[in-house]
Amino acid sequence: MKITVRAFADYREIIGREMELDLSGEKTIGELLNGLFDRYPKLRVEMLTPAGDLKEFINIFINGRNIAFLKNMQSPLSEGDIVALFPPVAGG
Amino acid sequence: MSEYDIERYRRQIPLLGDEGQERMRRAGVLIAGAGGLGTVVAAHLAAAGAGFLRLADNDKVELSNLNRQLLYTPADIGREKAAVATGKLGDFNSSIRVEGVHITIDDGTVNELIKDIDIIVDALDNFTTRFILNKAAFGCCIPLIHGAVRGFFGQVATLIPGKTGCLQCLFAQSPTAETFPILGTTCGVIGSIQATEAIKVISGRGETLANRLFFWDGLAGDATVIETKRNPDCTVCGKG
Repeated sequence: MKITVRAFADYREIIGREMELDLSGEKTIGELLNGLFDRYPKLRVEMLTPAGDLKEFINIFINGRNIAFLKNMQSPLSEGDIVALFPPVAGG
Repeated sequence: MSEYDIERYRRQIPLLGDEGQERMRRAGVLIAGAGGLGTVVAAHLAAAGAGFLRLADNDKVELSNLNRQLLYTPADIGREKAAVATGKLGDFNSSIRVEGVHITIDDGTVNELIKDIDIIVDALDNFTTRFILNKAAFGCCIPLIHGAVRGFFGQVATLIPGKTGCLQCLFAQSPTAETFPILGTTCGVIGSIQATEAIKVISGRGETLANRLFFWDGLAGDATVIETKRNPDCTVCGKG
C-alpha cells in the first residue's frame, strides 16, 4: 500500500518535504516510523527519547487526525493515507 | 459609511464590498496576547477598520521584545503592553475603539473578555491558555483564529464552532512553555495570515482556513496546508 509522508520544520530538514512509501502487509504508524528511524537515524534522535518513547508534544497526523486521538503508535494505516509529521509550534 | 471611511478604505472596499466594510466596522475582535503575533494582528485589523479591538495581555514591554513586537519602542520598556498598544492603535485609527486589558487569561477571566466579541484571535504564547480560550470560544460559538510561531516556523488554523473541530481536536497536549528563538518576520507572516482570516470571517469573503492547518516554513521558503478533521470524541466540541 502506498502512504505519503509529509514532514515539516525540523523533520523536513532530515527526510525532505514529502515522500511516498510502498509498504507491504498491514502496518501501523509505529511500524512506518520505525522504518523511517532505521533509514534516518537523526530522525530517531529528534522524535524519540533515549528510552525509545515518542517525545511529548510531537504532532503526528494521519489524514488530518492527530494519532493521539486514534490509537497512538498502534494507529493502523490504509492505502493512500497521508501522514504528516510536525514539531510543536507554541509561541506567539 | 462616512466620507472619511469611504476615502480611508478606498483601496480595500472593492475587495470587501460596502457591506463587508460595514461588517468590519461593526465587528468586535478579541486579540488574546499583545506580543509578536498580537501586535501584527492588531495593527492590521486597526488599519483595516475593525470597529472594536480588545487586547488582552499580562506582560510588560522588555528590550528583547523589540526584534518582533513592532508596536513598541525602547521608550515603552517597563510599561504594560496592553496600554502601550492601545495608545499606538488609537494613533493608527482614531475612528475605531480599542480597549487594552492588562490581565492573565484564565478560567476566571476568559468569559468576561469574550463578552461582546464576534471573533477571537489566538496570539498567545502557550497552549495551556490557548485551551482555556478554545473552550470558551466554542462554548459561546465564537470563531477562533489560531496562530503559533517558533523560529522560522508558524501555523494558522481557523476554528469555527459547528463547522470545524476545535483546537483540542488538533493538539493533544500543552507543550511546555519555553523561551524559544523567534524571528520577527515569522510573526509578521503568521500574524498577517491570522488578520486576513479574521477579515474574511468578518466580511464573509473568500475561503477560510476552516478544517485546514496552514504551516509556514520560512527556512525552506515554503507553505503547506493540510486538511484536518474534527475529533468526534473531543471533550470540548465533540461527544467526548
